[in-house]
Amino acid sequence: MARKYWKGLEELKETTEFIKHKENEFPTQQTVEAFLSNDKLDETSTGRRDFLKFLGFSVAAATLAACEAPVTKAVPYVVKPENVTPGMATWYASTYYDGASYASILVKTREGRPIFIKGNKDFGLTQGAVNPQIIASILGLYDSARLIGPTENGKLVSWSSVDSSISKALKSAKTVSLLSNSIISPTLQKQIDEMSAAMAANGQILNHIQYDAISYSAIRQANEQNFGAAIIPSYDFSKAKTIISLGADFLGTWLMANQYVQQYGLTRNPDSKWMSKHFQFESFMSLSGSNADYRGMIKPSEQAAVLSFLIKGLGGNCAVASTLNTPTKSIADQALKSLKSSKQSSLVVCGSNNVSLQLLTNQLNQLLGSYGTTIDLTNDVKLFKSEDAKVIKLANDVISGKGPDAMLFMGVNPVYSLPNGEAFGKALKKIKTTVSFSGFADETASLCSYVCPDHHALESWLDYQPTNNHYAIAQPTIRPIHNTASVIETFSVWSGKSIRLGKDSSTAYDLIKSNYSERFPLGDFAYSTHNSCETVPGNLNVLTPFKNGVLGKLPSAGALEVVLYQKGAIGNGQHASNPWLQEMPDPITKATWDNYITMNPVEMKQQGFVTTYDQEHGLNLATVSVNGKKVTLPVFPLPGQALNTVGIALGYGRGANGEAIGKAAFQTKEYGGHDLDEKGGLKPIGANVYHFVSTENGNLQFDTTGSLAKAEGMYAIASTQIHHTVMGRHSIVRETTLPIFTSKGKEAYNPAHTLQKLNKEGHHEDVPNSEFDLWDAHPVEKIGHRWGMTIDLSSCIGCGSCLIACQSENNVPVVGKDEVRRGREMHWLRIDRYFASDEEATIGQRKDKDTFSYDKAEIAAENPKVIHMPMMCQHCNHAPCETVCPVLATTHSNEGLNQMTYNRCIGTRYCANNCPYKVRRFNWFEYPSYKKFTEVNPAQDDLGRMVLNPDVTVRTRGVMEKCSFCVQRIQSTKLVAKKESRMINDGEFATACSDACPTNAIVVGDWNDFKSSVYSSSKNDRSYQALEEVGAKPNVWYKVKVRNEDNELLSSLQKEKPVAHHEGKKAHH
Amino acid sequence: MQKEAAIREPLILGHKSYHDVTEDVCRPIEDKAPRMWYVLFGIALIIALYGIGCIVYLLGTGIGVWGLNKTIGWAWDITNFVWWVGIGHAGTLISAVLLLFRQKWRMAINRSAEAMTIFAVFMAGLFPLIHMGRLWVGYWVLPLPNQFGSLWVNFNSPLLWDVFAISTYLSVSLVFWYIGLIPDFATIRDRAKKPVSKKMYSILSFGWSGGAKNWNRFETVSLVLAGLATPLVFSVHSIVSFDFATSIVPGWHTTIFPPYFVAGAVFSGFAMVQTLMLVMRKAMGLEAYIHTKHVEYMNIVIMVTGSIVGTAYITELFISWYSGVEYEAYAFLNRATGPYWWAYWSMMTCNVISPQLMWIRKLRRSLLFTFFISIVVNIGMWFERYVIIVTSIHRDYLPSAWSMHYPSHIDIGVYIGTIGIFFVFFLLFARYFPVLALNEIKTILKGSGQSYKEAPDYHKHH
Repeated sequence: MARKYWKGLEELKETTEFIKHKENEFPTQQTVEAFLSNDKLDETSTGRRDFLKFLGFSVAAATLAACEAPVTKAVPYVVKPENVTPGMATWYASTYYDGASYASILVKTREGRPIFIKGNKDFGLTQGAVNPQIIASILGLYDSARLIGPTENGKLVSWSSVDSSISKALKSAKTVSLLSNSIISPTLQKQIDEMSAAMAANGQILNHIQYDAISYSAIRQANEQNFGAAIIPSYDFSKAKTIISLGADFLGTWLMANQYVQQYGLTRNPDSKWMSKHFQFESFMSLSGSNADYRGMIKPSEQAAVLSFLIKGLGGNCAVASTLNTPTKSIADQALKSLKSSKQSSLVVCGSNNVSLQLLTNQLNQLLGSYGTTIDLTNDVKLFKSEDAKVIKLANDVISGKGPDAMLFMGVNPVYSLPNGEAFGKALKKIKTTVSFSGFADETASLCSYVCPDHHALESWLDYQPTNNHYAIAQPTIRPIHNTASVIETFSVWSGKSIRLGKDSSTAYDLIKSNYSERFPLGDFAYSTHNSCETVPGNLNVLTPFKNGVLGKLPSAGALEVVLYQKGAIGNGQHASNPWLQEMPDPITKATWDNYITMNPVEMKQQGFVTTYDQEHGLNLATVSVNGKKVTLPVFPLPGQALNTVGIALGYGRGANGEAIGKAAFQTKEYGGHDLDEKGGLKPIGANVYHFVSTENGNLQFDTTGSLAKAEGMYAIASTQIHHTVMGRHSIVRETTLPIFTSKGKEAYNPAHTLQKLNKEGHHEDVPNSEFDLWDAHPVEKIGHRWGMTIDLSSCIGCGSCLIACQSENNVPVVGKDEVRRGREMHWLRIDRYFASDEEATIGQRKDKDTFSYDKAEIAAENPKVIHMPMMCQHCNHAPCETVCPVLATTHSNEGLNQMTYNRCIGTRYCANNCPYKVRRFNWFEYPSYKKFTEVNPAQDDLGRMVLNPDVTVRTRGVMEKCSFCVQRIQSTKLVAKKESRMINDGEFATACSDACPTNAIVVGDWNDFKSSVYSSSKNDRSYQALEEVGAKPNVWYKVKVRNEDNELLSSLQKEKPVAHHEGKKAHH
Repeated sequence: MQKEAAIREPLILGHKSYHDVTEDVCRPIEDKAPRMWYVLFGIALIIALYGIGCIVYLLGTGIGVWGLNKTIGWAWDITNFVWWVGIGHAGTLISAVLLLFRQKWRMAINRSAEAMTIFAVFMAGLFPLIHMGRLWVGYWVLPLPNQFGSLWVNFNSPLLWDVFAISTYLSVSLVFWYIGLIPDFATIRDRAKKPVSKKMYSILSFGWSGGAKNWNRFETVSLVLAGLATPLVFSVHSIVSFDFATSIVPGWHTTIFPPYFVAGAVFSGFAMVQTLMLVMRKAMGLEAYIHTKHVEYMNIVIMVTGSIVGTAYITELFISWYSGVEYEAYAFLNRATGPYWWAYWSMMTCNVISPQLMWIRKLRRSLLFTFFISIVVNIGMWFERYVIIVTSIHRDYLPSAWSMHYPSHIDIGVYIGTIGIFFVFFLLFARYFPVLALNEIKTILKGSGQSYKEAPDYHKHH
């Protein structure tokens, strides 16, 4: 049988079709003409001409792709937009509000992208004060985890689709709850009100509840009882000669801290007529407590007794017991003395959210006559309107299945921040429609059926009314990066008043502008936008006279009292994915990337916890139980923590279920990548302790009681400082008291270093260090510019704004927890924090030179004094780093700067070893690309990279870097002055740190300009140079910290020298 | 030529004839290597490869793979550098200084001590290179006219002085060593049977003919080089010590450093020579050439230099207190009582106490004890550099920056690796090079008359 060969199954089976076409080798006999004349051809997407275009393009693309390096082109504008000049920064005045912090800001944009935020010193409530969170929020704009558009059940959808489904859902809902943070935007409030009215007309209920994770509701309630209005008054710390704070961290996170910190700074200048006296009674050592002149360690339950003691001492009536322990009483006595002398120029604030404590505080302020002087009830604060009782009821309703038909979440994250957030989150699916406006698929948003992401604050138009008489505007500084929409527009669309116009929509702008016109009929919106604010005339509260309130339950005492506090960087947790903030050392503990249980080391030793830690030695873990809920965290030794109390920071443990809140919010591994738990889930940083928050009289309480048990294991702590005292070294930090400062001469509190020299007569003579010199002087004195800086340790509160501003300005890489633990953080500017030891009369001043023990000096006192010392390159005129570099990579400029030439550096690190201030930072790895830093360093992210300052080089591995005095700013200031043919004006140039300082502790300028403020500041009696005896001749001066306290011991040590008699000389003659 | 001193012990034991010397030195080269050599070479090679792996990882990833931090910019890297340079001191001292002082006993050990020096300086030179953040631009430390315009090196920097000091020392030592090798290579060449090795050794021996003119020039060059090398013995470690002495770090900024470093270097160098020689004499059957007398001489050097070092330690302590400088005083107090007290007291025990045992004649003539002490001394000298470098900078001026140093496994790997590389070189040297200066040593061989005098009686009757 002959074999049969076949080409296809058709041939094999000999189908009719096959037989039919068997003879035709080419199936269609169409001519080219016929093919081209086919009309349908035009309808196809790829026409003949297009084909040629594609062909051409493919050839070009292939050619380009074959090139060795990717071609990066700077494309010039065809039509240059107004106000945008490549290489020139454009600044926009705006306003920042995130539900917790408020500030008037200036945003720097370069080529259309915002890269830097600083405080607006000319306009607004906050007078230029900003906190680290606000400065760092610029990085949040470029977080790659931000939602890029609206989602439905986690899937990206179009705005038209979510709008129609949500509108439909809202129409069918009987009750709708809107849970928002405190709304201070009049336009947004109006949209909510209009929607509410429209729904009411339909027989529906829109229940708007405002909720702050950190609530101050007790202040409002106390004022309601005392003055008939549930308000938070405006406090004016700048008028307060005596400040008494009970656990209120008014310099860090309490209420309008950005306003208070600036006011407080004004009262801390010992050179002015008066200086405030600050008493702090607290359990956890807060930023405010670390700056207090007197600090009492009390348990939260003892606050009432302190208030009662002061009320009684001022002749008031108080039913609360006022027994205090001896150390507290001695401080309370001092406080009483001070209050009696300052009377109505006093201010008492209390951080507790217990109504009774706030009533006592009000009573004390009333006794002192503070109302009308330091407390302004007529111009109240519109922030922090949390209605705790309603929130708790709503949450309980939802959990028990009695929730509304639809819920909207705006600026809140209750699943994370509610005490029963977890249960609330589980119950959310019982609600038919849930909508979040969050920019991230966070704990709450990820459980919602719809997420309609709001613009980032820097992308949107908003108006604010932070206080009664103040109106502020926030303007966008960049076209929205993603497909997000302003909530103002969203509400307007859902109410049927507007249509969705996409991300370039002007709906919000129009609404805000028309609101503005209603309010300020004669106003110019453009002008107000330029200033960012406007005063609302005559809008003041009229209040009933003070009426005593009824005291309810006071915080109860417990064997262990637990204080839940906020860190300056992390706050309530909404910025947890911001690596700059995570890596910012806590002002007091200097720990990064974690929360922990703070406990007094004295107590820790008794309980067998280790009290020292370093790179390789971690801390013991312990479990804190509150109301049956447990959290296991390391126990951190914090001197100044009241005995029998522990503190734990809120705001940690974000993304416990791996929610996409940003890659920096999770723990990373030693060699890169996220650290995963046994189930393969992401590990959050720290632990969430919001479930420890209890309620009292419907108010959320952040002080509670619980118990602590040692747990198995040790935990590595990434701290930037592992030694805590200054070891009695007087040439590093200098401190004195106001009485000494005002009554004695400079040599008492700020003696110059001297060395002995033979005089002409052959006798020894003490002469200043400056007369001895190994080297020729650099030609910087009195020639051209000489950039200098003074840092006033009296004004510096250690908040860390300068550190974050420096990081933002100078592209300082983030290195992550593991590298910080190894002592390799890259911050160009750090804030050294020293605790006093029992060997010192005050920090840096030995009690007794003969009996001084180094061993004991290493241990901080139980309730130590604290000093914050910003430390950066001192730009020494005789820089030890410069002489040792073999390749001259670090040299001195003729303007007095110690400059670092990155591309000349070969990385021997000799300069860093020889730097007495240890301010040089080495690039241990290639931070912009090494895998270890992918999760943490924004420079490794396509979007995150946008935040980099184009004026500053991103450093490669193996080179040294350090503070440059923001040389890029110096250069641009010089250029501007040169173009205008004039000298640089004093104050025209500011470094990022001095710009950011809320208390103006840092002054920079041209030291060769003898009229400059930096020159006069450096000639102040308090000015000294750190480690002067080393002879490095820095261009940075520090100013002696003056504490407004009485310190007999210090007074006996800081003596004026008897008028210099030259005994030898006399004898000779 | 050689005077007979009745009371002096002979430097070469036994009845060695000139031919015996040649045989003893050349046999290991000509014979097959013993199995032990392969085992040792294998171990050294594995360690060396591991070390090279660590270095490659270091260069590929960044200096961050070491345990350094913002406060401690140098630790094991520079410790190892100084340690190896110190070890590299003995060779030149033995060959140059002892040559000038006409110490004939040096001939037994100078060849391998010089080899050790060169290999140790190789290892030392490696560290300043790999410790650089950007090795690929390391050539910028050379004062080369360059395309970077007016960029030039900083002659104020002790690191630059190091570059000159180490490179000069290495080149002079290498030339000195090689000149000495030439007549010996010629001897091997003359005996070689295999064509390949004959060719190799004839290239290495530079056409040495052994004529009087050759010897004349050889002697002259040796003397000239000895004269050149002698100041280098003192300059190299003085300059290395300037890295620290000219800085302002308390504990580094010490004027006593140059002499103290030189003494320490000789101390550790001799200890390393002892370690190597004691093994080599046994393994290669050189007991007749390197014997108790040599060991004792070297132990005396160790004792003297050890005492100088000890005096320096105590002087430093005293001056730190006497100066009244707060930071200086604390730096030394911290060394002795701070977190690194164990390193300080290891150093004190190994370097100050252990060499004092050499006062006891019995101990300094005990080979086993000497071997033990030689290792102890080198441990001590490593700790000395670690103490100086790390315990000074880990707590300097600002307590806020105080830190601790913990080595990473790469730190350890690189260090152990250099020991491996060193032994790879040294074992290759022992295998292919004449480990004794065989032609030189013949000059101290007592004449045949002496052999006859001391020969057993039955020989005389023949």
